[in-house]
Amino acid sequence: MAPRNATASSSRAASSSVSRLAKTNGNAGPSTLKNKKRAVQEVSEDEDEEFGSAGSGIDMSEDEDGEEGEDDEEEEAFPEFDSEIEDGDAEEEDGDDETGLDEEELDDEESGSESGYNSSDIEAMYAEGDEDEEEEYSPITSPSSSHKDLSTDEKLSKLIAKNSIKPDESLGTDAKISRAKEGVGRLVPSKLVEGGYKREYEDYEAGYGSESSTEDNPNTVGNIPMEWYDDMPHIGYDVNGRKIFRPAQGDELDKFLSNTEDPAAWTSAEDKLLQQSVQLSDKELDIIRRLERAENPDADYDPYQPTIEWFTGEGNERVMPLSAAPEPKRRFVPSKWEHKKIMKIVKAIREGRIIPNKPSAAKPTVYSIWSESDQANLSHAMYMPAPQLPPPKTIESYNPPEEYLLNEEEQKQWEEADKEDRKTDFLPAKYDSLRLVPGYKNLVQERFERCLDLYLAPRTRKVKLNIDPESLIPKLPAPKELKPFPISTSVVYRHPESSRVRSVSTSPDGLWVATGSEDGIVRVWDLGNGREVWKWNLKGGAIQHLSFSPYKDECLLIALVSGKIAVLSPLALVAPAIAANTLTHVNTAFATSAATTKIGAGKEIKGVESIKWVRPSESERERGVLVYVEVPGTPKQVSWHRKGDYFATVASDASNKSVLIHQLSKHSTQSPFKKLPGQVQKVIFHPSKPHFFVATQRYIRQYDLATQTLVRTLQSGVKWISSLDLHPRGDNLIIGSYDKKLAWFDLDLSNKPYKTLRYHTKALRSVVYHPTLPLFASASDDGTIHIFHCTIYQDLMQNPLIVPLKILRGHKVTDGIGVLDLSWVSGKPWLVSSGSDGEVRLWCS
Amino acid sequence: MAKIKRKGESGAAKNYVTRNQALKKLQISLSDFRRLCILKGIYPREPLNKKRANKGSSAPATFYYHKDIQYLLHEPLLVKFREHKAFAKKLARALGRGEWALAKNLEEAKPVARLDHLVKERYPTFTLALQDLQDPLNLVHLFSTLPTNPIPGKTLVPSSVIAECSRLISEWKVWAIRTNSLRKLFLGVKGIYYECEVPGQGGELVKVRWLEGYEFQQHVPTDVDFRILLTFLDLYRTLISFTLFKLYTEENLVYPPPLDVELDERGESVGAFRLVEKKDNQGVESSKVSKKAVRKAIKGIKASTGGDADVEMDEDDNAEEETNENDEEFVERPTKSGEEVEDVATAPLTTYNSLLATTSNAASTSKQNLLFSPYTFYLSRETSSRTWEFVIRAMGGKIITSLSSPQPSDDSITHVIIDRPITVERMREMENGRKWTWIQPQWVADCVNRQKIISSEGYHPGQLLPPHLSPWDGEGELDRPWLEDAQNAAITAAQEEADQEEDVIEQDAPAEEESDEDEEIAEKEEAGKYPPALLASSLDPENVSLLHAAELEAEQNGVSHSAFRNQLKEAIKANKKDASTKVASAGAGKKSGEEDLRKIMMSNKKAKLYEKMQYSNREKAAEKENLERKRLAIEKRKRKEARA
Repeated sequence: MAPRNATASSSRAASSSVSRLAKTNGNAGPSTLKNKKRAVQEVSEDEDEEFGSAGSGIDMSEDEDGEEGEDDEEEEAFPEFDSEIEDGDAEEEDGDDETGLDEEELDDEESGSESGYNSSDIEAMYAEGDEDEEEEYSPITSPSSSHKDLSTDEKLSKLIAKNSIKPDESLGTDAKISRAKEGVGRLVPSKLVEGGYKREYEDYEAGYGSESSTEDNPNTVGNIPMEWYDDMPHIGYDVNGRKIFRPAQGDELDKFLSNTEDPAAWTSAEDKLLQQSVQLSDKELDIIRRLERAENPDADYDPYQPTIEWFTGEGNERVMPLSAAPEPKRRFVPSKWEHKKIMKIVKAIREGRIIPNKPSAAKPTVYSIWSESDQANLSHAMYMPAPQLPPPKTIESYNPPEEYLLNEEEQKQWEEADKEDRKTDFLPAKYDSLRLVPGYKNLVQERFERCLDLYLAPRTRKVKLNIDPESLIPKLPAPKELKPFPISTSVVYRHPESSRVRSVSTSPDGLWVATGSEDGIVRVWDLGNGREVWKWNLKGGAIQHLSFSPYKDECLLIALVSGKIAVLSPLALVAPAIAANTLTHVNTAFATSAATTKIGAGKEIKGVESIKWVRPSESERERGVLVYVEVPGTPKQVSWHRKGDYFATVASDASNKSVLIHQLSKHSTQSPFKKLPGQVQKVIFHPSKPHFFVATQRYIRQYDLATQTLVRTLQSGVKWISSLDLHPRGDNLIIGSYDKKLAWFDLDLSNKPYKTLRYHTKALRSVVYHPTLPLFASASDDGTIHIFHCTIYQDLMQNPLIVPLKILRGHKVTDGIGVLDLSWVSGKPWLVSSGSDGEVRLWCS
Repeated sequence: MAKIKRKGESGAAKNYVTRNQALKKLQISLSDFRRLCILKGIYPREPLNKKRANKGSSAPATFYYHKDIQYLLHEPLLVKFREHKAFAKKLARALGRGEWALAKNLEEAKPVARLDHLVKERYPTFTLALQDLQDPLNLVHLFSTLPTNPIPGKTLVPSSVIAECSRLISEWKVWAIRTNSLRKLFLGVKGIYYECEVPGQGGELVKVRWLEGYEFQQHVPTDVDFRILLTFLDLYRTLISFTLFKLYTEENLVYPPPLDVELDERGESVGAFRLVEKKDNQGVESSKVSKKAVRKAIKGIKASTGGDADVEMDEDDNAEEETNENDEEFVERPTKSGEEVEDVATAPLTTYNSLLATTSNAASTSKQNLLFSPYTFYLSRETSSRTWEFVIRAMGGKIITSLSSPQPSDDSITHVIIDRPITVERMREMENGRKWTWIQPQWVADCVNRQKIISSEGYHPGQLLPPHLSPWDGEGELDRPWLEDAQNAAITAAQEEADQEEDVIEQDAPAEEESDEDEEIAEKEEAGKYPPALLASSLDPENVSLLHAAELEAEQNGVSHSAFRNQLKEAIKANKKDASTKVASAGAGKKSGEEDLRKIMMSNKKAKLYEKMQYSNREKAAEKENLERKRLAIEKRKRKEARA
C-alpha cells in the first residue's frame, strides 16, 4: 500500500498546488492549466517529499493509531476540517461565477480521483484545508458565520458527536462514510423553510484509480491506435471538443540532430497520445532504474523498517484494561437460584425421594419381541440365509453297519488326502458299546470353522437342476422308422498287397465300381459280386481321385495321377450305344482339330498354354483310355458338372492354375481364377444353377460362373476343410474337416453353419449326400462311417431334420488312416467305402 | 443421443465394495467391522465378474454389497462401539492417574451394547429364528462343556459365560421335556444329535437339530480365535434367551425358571430347574375388573349353554388356586426318603397344575411322543444321565438315577439302562425276584427313532448291538431290505445253521465236502445240470405248483429235502444272476448305442451338462455299489466264520 499511497498523496499535493495556481491564473484555459500543472509537477513533488519528511505522515500513514498518537494538534483541527468542507460547499453555493464553479469542480474532481481514502489523503486535505482557509479567509459567506448562526444546542450536539467518535474511527479509511452514517452531514440553510437548516450529506464518490490517464490527459480520444489519426492534421480532441493539432515534427534529420545535441534526449520518451517526446522526470527515471534492478519501484519503501512497538516495550505499558466496566457481581457471588435448586435435590435425597447411584431402570434382559402378526420382511431381495449344516449320515454313527467302515486302503487314502478333499471330516469307527466312544477331538475346531464360514464365506445362489439327464437328449425319430439305410457289409473288394484305395466311384447305372489305389491302377469291379472286371495301369504313381460321369447315356471315368488327367471308359463293359455316345463325345474335338494336341480353346486365357489335351496311343485307346490332359501340378480332386461335359479339377500345388475347368466336347480348359483366395481344397458344381463352390482351408466361396461374380462366402468355423458335398437340391451343403467336425450349411439361412457336429474321434475324410435318398454319410480316420438321415422340408421355415442312423464299422485303421472315400450307389441305399487297409466295402441295407 | 455411460458408475462397480473400502467408509477398525458383520449377519458376496466389481483390477479382494455397508452406517451398535472406545480411553486415563473414584464412577456408567434389536431385525418372525437355531444351540452346547478354568494362552472364556451357556441349555432341555417335543436322536462319533419339533409362529412346527458333544474335556486347538466365537456367542445367547422366553411364555411358565440351588449343587442338570406357572396377574386382575360383566354374560349365555359357564367359573377358581400354590414343581423327583418314593409310585404327577399341563400337551402332541410313559428307567452309573434323563423324560418315562439311589431298589423300575458287561447271576441278584429289562442305551435311541418300543433282543448288556442308523439318512434308509433282513438275520442264520448241520449229518460223503472255491465253481458248472422241474421252479419261485412239482421230482430222484432246498436256492440265485446280466448287457448294448447316436445331435452346452449329471450319478452309484459290495463280502465272511 505504501507506494500507492505515496503516489496518491503526491498527486493530491500536486493537484492542490495546481488548483492554487489555477486560482491565481484566473481565467486560464483548461488545457493550459493542465500544461502548467505538468510543469509544476516536479516542484510539487519536491514539496511533497519535503512535506512527507517533515510530517512523517506518509510513513506513518499506514497506522492510523500511530497517527492519532503522534500529532495531537491535528485533533484540534477536526472541527476545522469539517467546517472547511462546509466552507467549500457554501462557497460553491454562493459563488455564481462560472470560473469559481469550474475551480471547485476541478477541485472536487481531484478529490474524487483520490482513491482509497486513507489517512495520508486526509492529512493532505487538512493541509489543503488549512491553506484554503488561509487563502480564502476573506469571503464573507464563510462557514464561521453559519457556525455562529447555529444554536448552542447544535453546537453542543456537534461537540458531543465529535468527541463521541473515537479518534481511530473517525480517521479510518471510510471516515466520510462513517460520518455520514452517523448523521454528521453539513447543515445547510433550507431553501424551503425560512431560517431552517437542512442536513446535507456529502456524495460518496467511488474511488477510481488515481492513474494519470484519468487526471491529466488532454487528448480524449481514448485508448485507440493513434495511426488512425495519421492522415489528419489533428491528433484528437480535448475536453471541450476542440481539436488538438499535431505538434510540429521535424524530419528524421532534425530528430537525429536533436538527439545528438540534446544531452537529455535519451531520457525522454515518446508520448503516443500527444505525439511528442516527453522528458522523463528524475523520479520516473528512478522508478525505471529500480525496476531494472528488480527492486521496489517506490524509493521510499523500506522493506526492513523497524518494528514500532505501540503497545509493548518500555514506556508503552498500558495500565488500563480494555473495558473499564467493573467486574459484575455474579462473577464472584454464588448463584442463589442454583443454591435453591441444589437444596431442593438435597432435600429430596434426605427424604429418600431420590436415590443416588440407583441403577437405572433398564430394559428387562428378555421380553417378548415376537408376536403372531410379525411379517418376514427380509432386508432385500438378495438376502440369503446361511445354509444349514446337513444332518448326520449313518456313516457318522458310533455303531455303523460294518460296510461303512473304511478298509485299510481307504483309510490310507483318507489320511493322505487334504482336509478339504476328504469325503467325511472324521474317520468312521465302530464301537461295541456307547461307553467306549471317546471324546471327539475336533469339535471346537469344527464349530470355529462353521463360524468362520458364516461370516467370511461369500454366499452365492446355485441353482441345482433337478431334471432327468435323459431329457437333455433331443427327441428324434427312431432309426428303425427311417429305413432303409446301409447296415452291414455285403461285398468286399480286396486289392492286392492291401494298397491304400484313395478313391472310389460308382457308375451312374449302379453296376460298376471304380477304385483308384496307390499302386497306380484303376480297377473296375462288378458291384454285385465283387469281381474285378477291368483295370488300367496309368503308370503315373498313385491314383489321386477318380469319378464316374453322372451322365447316364455315357460311361466316362476320369482318374487323376500326378500331372495328368486320364479320361477312361470301360467300353467293353457297357452297351454299344452308350459306348458310341461316349466315343463321339470325347473324340469330336480331335476330329475337328485333327491334331494330337490342342491348346485350350480360350487362347486369350493366360496361363493355360501349358495344358495339353493328348490323344493316347492306339493300344491305349483300345483299352479304353480316351484322352490325357496334361496339367501342371498333381490334381487331387475331380468334380463333374451334372451334364457330363464339363469337369473341374483341383491341384493345390499348381499355384494360380490349381482350379481348372475342362470341357470334354471341345477339349478346352479354362482357368477361372486369376488369383486364388487361398489354398483350394475342394470344388463342386451347383446341380442346377451355373454356380461353382470353392472350398479353401476355412471358407467356402460360391461363384456365379455366368456373371463371374462372387455370390457369397461361407464361414465354416472349422480349421481345415477336408471334404465338401452339396445336397442334390442345391440349397444345403455339408463339409467335413480335419479337426473332426462336420458342418451343415443351409444356404438360404446363413453364411454360418446351421449345425456343427463333432462325433468322430479322428479327422473326417469324406462326406457325401445320397443323390436321391435323404441320406448322407461321413467317413473318418477312426475307421467308422456314420450314416445320417436328413429330411429337407419344402417349408423354408422348418429346419432340416438330421438323425444319426448308424455307425458302420469294418475298415481297419492302418498308419492312422481309416476310411478314405465314400460313394453312394445311385438309386439304392447302398454305400461303397474305400479304406487304407486295401479294402473297398459295399454296405447294404 | 443416449446418455453416455461412464465407467464405474453403475452395475457391479457400484453394487460391490471391497472390505477396505467398507472400513474406510465406516471409519472403524477391522476387528470392529468383524464384530459388526457377525452381529448384523453381513457376509461377503461373490460378484459374477470380479474384475468388473473391482473397477478393472483383478487383485484378490473380499466384496460386500454396497447396500449392506450403507445399512451398517446407521447402526446403533456402531455408536456403542465408539462410546465404548471413549470409555476405555477414559478409564485407562483414570487408572493411569490413580483416580480411583473416577474410575469407579466410569466403570459404573460403562456403556453396554444390547443386541435385542439385532435379534428382531435378523429374525423378524419367530419361525425364522427357530429355523436358524441350529448353529446357536450347537455353539452354546459346546461352550457349556468348555473348561471353566481358562487355559492360559488358549481360552479366555469367562466362567460366567460358560455358566450362562449351561443354564441356557438346561432351560432348553427343560422346555423340551415339558412339551415332549424330542423327535429324533442319533449317537454319532462326534456326539449326540437331537431333533426337536418346536412350534413357530402360528403353530407351524419347525425342526431344530443340535449336537451335544460327549461329556469329556474339550480339546481346544491353539489356532482357534475365541474372540470370534465369543462374538457369535453373544448374539446366540441373546437369541436363545429370547426364544426361550417366547417358548416359556407360550407354555404359561415363568422365564427364567428359578433354579433349585440345592439340587443344582447335588449335580442335577435338567432337574434343578423348577418350572413355575405364571401367576398371570394381569389376567386375574382383568377378570376381577370384569367379573360383573362376565357374570352378566354368563347369565345371558346360561339359557343356551350352561356347561360353558361352569367351565369359566371353574377357571376363575383355578386362577385363584394357582395364586395360592404357584411354586408347584412340575418335575417329579424321587428322593431318598421312602415316603416320597411311595408318593411317586402312587401319584405319577404331583400337582394339579402339571396335570393340566400334561393334558393340554396331550391334546397338542400325539400319544407316540409319550413312548416311555408306562416305564420307569433306572440309569446305571456309567451311563450319561445328562443325555438319558433328558431323552427318557422327554419321551414321558420316569427316571431313577444312580444319583438318587445307588442301587436299583425300586419296585416301579421296569428297565435298567446299563452300559457295562454284567453276569446274568448278578442281574438276577439285583432284580431280586422282580422282572426288569436290562438294556444298553442304544435301545432307547432306536426306540425314539422308530417311534415304537422295539424288542430288547440284541440290546442286552454284553451283547453285540445291531448297527445304529441315522434317522436322517433318507427315508429309505431305515427300511432298506437288507437292514430289515438284519433283524431276521439271526433267525434265518439259525435256520441255515440248522440246515447245514442236517446237511453235515446226512451227507457225510466227501464229494460235497469241498473247499468253498471249488463249491462256487461247481455251482456254476451245475447250473445247467438241474433237473427240469427244479429249473422251472427256480425261474418262477413264487409259483407253488411248480415248487411242488420240483419237490416231487426231487423225491423221485432220492434227493433229501434240505439238499433240494439248497439246490433250489442256488438255482434261483444263478437264474437271477443270469437274468440280471442278460438284461444289463442287452440294455447297455442296445440303449447305449441309441443314446450315443442321439447324443451326437446335442448342443455343446447340453452335452456338457449331461456329462456332468452322468458323472455325479455314476459317482453316487459307485458309492452305493461299493457299500453293497463290502456288505456282501462281510456277510459272506461271517457266514464262512459261522460255518467254520
